[in-house]
Amino acid sequence: MEYLHSDVAVHTQQREKLQHFHVLAVDDSLIERKLLERLLRESSCKVTCVDSGDKALEYLGLLDSQEIDRSTASSSSPQSSTQEGLKAVNLIMTDYSMPGMSGYDLLKRVKGSLWKDIPVVVMSSENVPSRISMCMEEGAEEFLLKPVQLSDLKKQLQPHLLKLPVHPKIDITTSNDNGNDSMIIDITMNNNQNVVVSKRKTMTPEPLERRPQMKGLAVI
Amino acid sequence: MERNQMHKHIFLMRQSFFDQGLLDEQFIQLEELQDDANPNFVEEVVTLYYRDSSRTLLNIEQSLEKNPLDFNKLDNYMHQFKGSSTSIGAKKVKAECTQFREYCRAGNGEGCMRTFQQLKKEYAILKKKLETYFQQTRQAGPSETACRPRMN
Repeated sequence: MEYLHSDVAVHTQQREKLQHFHVLAVDDSLIERKLLERLLRESSCKVTCVDSGDKALEYLGLLDSQEIDRSTASSSSPQSSTQEGLKAVNLIMTDYSMPGMSGYDLLKRVKGSLWKDIPVVVMSSENVPSRISMCMEEGAEEFLLKPVQLSDLKKQLQPHLLKLPVHPKIDITTSNDNGNDSMIIDITMNNNQNVVVSKRKTMTPEPLERRPQMKGLAVI
Repeated sequence: MERNQMHKHIFLMRQSFFDQGLLDEQFIQLEELQDDANPNFVEEVVTLYYRDSSRTLLNIEQSLEKNPLDFNKLDNYMHQFKGSSTSIGAKKVKAECTQFREYCRAGNGEGCMRTFQQLKKEYAILKKKLETYFQQTRQAGPSETACRPRMN
């Protein structure tokens, strides 16, 4: 089966969607923050950078003082951005080794909070298997080795495209080896935010499916 | 110097950084993030690196004067410094960082001090070379090819 994408259309769609995608980047290093911000902007995301786990918690409204205030009020949906005017965060990317609160500590705090469904990506310059498994067990979405590259980010952000409230619609045209039948696969989001995959046949065969015959080598 | 010659000169200069092992692939990653909207990105990051890391180096310098040496503290500082150096693709500097950390873990003060001297040398050499490179790139102005010559 051969899959053909309308690459340009999908790419444009993706970039538009990601403009609403807000990443909270946490790293104590100024250079790393600058780099990460540039990488995320290059990926068309909105970025907020903070330099510590505490600042990240403060941004999320999870500092102890903030939490106490909230527990006395009536609870509201944690996912919505209407929680007392706090900005919606779609993804947290945090360095592992930070003075004070480590990325792991931050991960634990987030996963134990009302924001537990926000994916958290942990980054580290050190490849320590026990560290990686510790973070993954605590619910990290992914563990990236530094220096983080654009390709890593693109891979990271890809699956999140399908979860955004705007309606994604990706057409994938398939053909079988005979080149006679063709199917279009629609991937859409229904009202319950579930991904629905449906197939339909096209009426006429797509011209691209007729592959040119391989000419045999001339025998001299 | 005629413009094409200047560009060729800069191209060769840049190539030498890779050939001599001063810079690695990460530097190219930075170059790829430079575009019309971020025309001085590489220079900005490098400038930030030298400004930011000088503080860390000072901390290490001061820590090396203490007696006895706090290897844990030294290792932590160096971890920081190594991270930044890695981010700009400073290959030789990074290698000295790795060496330094090994000496820390072995509790080898002599080794640390020796390595640190070497590190500072490499750090300074790279700084000078990159300053010259950026300055000449600015003087030469935009080249005909895209601003990202590939390393082959």
